Amino acid sequence: MHSHLPSATRSTRRGFLGLLGSGAALAALARLPATPATARAAAAGSQARFFDAEQTEILTQVIERMVESGEPDAPRVRDTRAVATVDALAGSLDPAITGPLPLLIRLVEWGPLLFELRLARFTNLSDEDKDASLRGWMTSRLEIRRLAFMALKNLAMLGWYSQDESWAAVGYAGPLLRREAP
Amino acid sequence: MIASLLERGGDLVERADVCVIGSGGGGAVAAAELAAAGLDVVVLEQGHHWTAKDFSQREDEMLPRLFEEGGMRATKDGTVTILQGRNVGGSTVHNLCYALRTPDPILRMWRRQHGLESLTRDALNPSFARVEKHLRVKPIRDDEVNALNRIIRHGARQMGYSGFVTKHNREGCVQSGYCILGCSYDAKQSMLVTYVPRASQAGARIYANARADRIEAEGGRARRVLGSVVDLDGAVRGSIEVSARAIVLAAGAVASPDLLQRSGLGGSRVGRHLHVHPSVMAAGFFDDEIHAYRGIPQSYYIDEFIDLDADPQRGYVLMPIAAFPVLTATQMPGFGREHFHWMKQYARMAGLLVLLHDRSEGRVRPGHSLSRPEIEYRLNADDAQQLAQGLVHCAHVLFAGGARRVVIPFSPEPLVLERGDDPREILRRGVRQGEIPIASTHPQSTCRMAADATAGVVNEWGEVFDTAGLFVADMSVFPTSLGAPPQITTAALADRTAHHILERRAELFA
Repeated sequence: MHSHLPSATRSTRRGFLGLLGSGAALAALARLPATPATARAAAAGSQARFFDAEQTEILTQVIERMVESGEPDAPRVRDTRAVATVDALAGSLDPAITGPLPLLIRLVEWGPLLFELRLARFTNLSDEDKDASLRGWMTSRLEIRRLAFMALKNLAMLGWYSQDESWAAVGYAGPLLRREAP
Repeated sequence: MIASLLERGGDLVERADVCVIGSGGGGAVAAAELAAAGLDVVVLEQGHHWTAKDFSQREDEMLPRLFEEGGMRATKDGTVTILQGRNVGGSTVHNLCYALRTPDPILRMWRRQHGLESLTRDALNPSFARVEKHLRVKPIRDDEVNALNRIIRHGARQMGYSGFVTKHNREGCVQSGYCILGCSYDAKQSMLVTYVPRASQAGARIYANARADRIEAEGGRARRVLGSVVDLDGAVRGSIEVSARAIVLAAGAVASPDLLQRSGLGGSRVGRHLHVHPSVMAAGFFDDEIHAYRGIPQSYYIDEFIDLDADPQRGYVLMPIAAFPVLTATQMPGFGREHFHWMKQYARMAGLLVLLHDRSEGRVRPGHSLSRPEIEYRLNADDAQQLAQGLVHCAHVLFAGGARRVVIPFSPEPLVLERGDDPREILRRGVRQGEIPIASTHPQSTCRMAADATAGVVNEWGEVFDTAGLFVADMSVFPTSLGAPPQITTAALADRTAHHILERRAELFA
């Protein structure tokens, strides 16, 4: 029914999560071996309930770069519940909505190899190269990659800016309802 | 009675005069009016029954509680975010309380171009009056206009743009600003604290965590609703069967057509003609702190660019918008240090959005999952141009209001305008889906009213053409884009449908 559209436009009409989940080659990524760093994290155990330990480590490093402020006294992502918040959200929703997220995380990990033809994985890169890799998603000519970037960014921002520790740096006074200390 | 089927446990088998599906801006009104008139009413609400004590003013907790798909619902291609409620009270629990009646030119267009002869101002006035009484609609006082809205009002006046302070439905507002995350003070007169308790007090049995999966008809007449008891994450915990002599479908403009299509009811127009009131925003950065998130979020309304008398199908309004850090962060361009550069100015930021009276049409179809219908929507060229033009006017208002800098969050490269720059650069960049955040809080028109089944799904009273006794009472019945905040129109049309059902009481409930 969309035959009057150019092919590039037609491809943008496909849901990116659906597309991510459609290719056998992409699906195989979910079975690729863990990197040393992520394997260590997995071995150390994880409190996550939606993402496994390896995915959690990748997600953590993505969030770290997404919310990097350059401020010397900024709290560390790993010292907050930012990643746990994303994990809890993903775990609380219908699997039909969040099911493709682990694959997306794996795609980010293997992005340097898949899209930049570099023999490296995201979690092995320097901070500068991680930013370049993420920028590759953000500025990709493929709308599907740009939208995948937006999905990751939204999750990262949800995780980080829902943390009390992040608010002072942006001048947010926080809820009027105060929590009692646990 | 308001009961969670999760806490109650087991399956549900019920018989009633009327089964209402959905407890939001249409369903709660219909349920209360019908129950108050003495009918036996059962309400099925797929969301949970959250109340003021649950509204923590924290985005990470409230987005999953109050919004479909945790706030991540979007069109199939991911380019338009669709924010809809999923809780007892529906979207009225998170809306921002603009309380405006249906514009007269829109009613006129619906009569003349869509053959809905009975939709006159005089005919609707009793419904408007009842709804506004129950929602305690009143003008926003000048001392309730917050810093953000004062800036926008000043900018609009400087530019000579028409605008006004609207009415709202709040009572005893403490001006915390957390309306979009649910009112912790029960000051917002949402369905949760007005029509839902009224329906309950009149005897309606309101079940939360109760998802309708299918409507069954026999001999062209609606007979029963089959559904599931659903957990907060969508897992099925039990079954539901409600037999009723009339069914009011009010699940919203995404779920209602989804359910009709799954049930094989409503004809070929179901799910088509989707309008969404697409919106894009501009962010102004000021020298002084504004803390735009405190106080009533939206009170001023710029209507300079919509003249429904001249053209009832075209135009846009400008509305102030403030968001808490998470939602703000998703709108700011880039990531890392570039992104933080903008976030660091959060307290000095004022947002102004363009809300388009759209002619573009999308479609809702059943998806692979019951909780995720497929939504398609693409802007046509004229609507995209209108949004871009609206952003130019946003920039003018923000600069006139004192902004030092205005940012249009194009991705990957934002447009940063300094004072003195020509905002028409926005027109050159253009609004393209996927290259700027586009949001919708008003999906509508997917079961539209029409004179006959060739043009729509329901008649002027909301009854589905091909199924007697099945009514639709939510924003999906709007024949076209409304071009105004929909809360009062939705409630008034639902009230009207309920009173029509009561007038046919002898026939429907004999």
